[in-house]
Amino acid sequence: MTETSVEPGVLVMTRYFDASPERVFQAWTDPELSARWLFTTPQSEAHSAELDVRVGGRWTIVDRRGGVDYRALGEYLNVDPPRRLVFTFGMPQFSPGFTTVKVEIAAAEAGSVMTLAQEDLPAASIPPLEEGWRAMFETLVLVAAA
Amino acid sequence: MSLSLNQMVELAPHAATDRLDAVFHALADPTRRAMLARLADEPSSVGALAAPHRMSLAAASKHIRALERAGLLRRQVQGRTHLCRLAPGALAEADRWFSLYRRLWTDSFDALDAVLADDSKGPTP
Repeated sequence: MTETSVEPGVLVMTRYFDASPERVFQAWTDPELSARWLFTTPQSEAHSAELDVRVGGRWTIVDRRGGVDYRALGEYLNVDPPRRLVFTFGMPQFSPGFTTVKVEIAAAEAGSVMTLAQEDLPAASIPPLEEGWRAMFETLVLVAAA
Repeated sequence: MSLSLNQMVELAPHAATDRLDAVFHALADPTRRAMLARLADEPSSVGALAAPHRMSLAAASKHIRALERAGLLRRQVQGRTHLCRLAPGALAEADRWFSLYRRLWTDSFDALDAVLADDSKGPTP
């Protein structure tokens, strides 16, 4: 199961995988492996991934669905195999904005625990999490849904 | 059911992300969160919102304007008093952003899980 939590402006998801941290890291950084799961669907008609995995290197993934090429791209900000990968992510077709995705991988039991954190916006300046903030946010979202 | 990335980005267009920025900025301040919590109970006048915070009416108005800009608060003029109400639409938008990405990553991790499982069944490298 995937666990999720909400901080102001940051989505955090944690998941256990039955594979070594090295293998999980590779799944993000080897284009042949990433092509099987990252920014693609079983219905995709064509797919290409160019991943220049080094700090300052760019990545581009193009996935064709319904005859349309969808391009996701960004830059690697931190590459520390097999523990940490940080990159920016944007889809210029839809929005000029980029978000930052942080992936952390740690050995756990016979496999790995991977934590992904995604910021809502690069421009958002969010002060540190304060006690009680999350509970209030969740309450307010409930109010919003009522 | 899986949601493709392009559908998702279309659902969260740039205009909405500017708004989200304002929402997160507004929510980052403890005084403003306390004001929202109070408004979640009942609509209040500007004076009543300012009262528990030991601040001038002008300072309180500044916070109220930030909440207004983020679309979290609506002001209603009733005679000489301004009545403030919670306007939760903007919060729902913030929540929607999270839901969409949560779903994208959950679907992706399911696919990754299958890739890694496949792996361990095949010949060991």
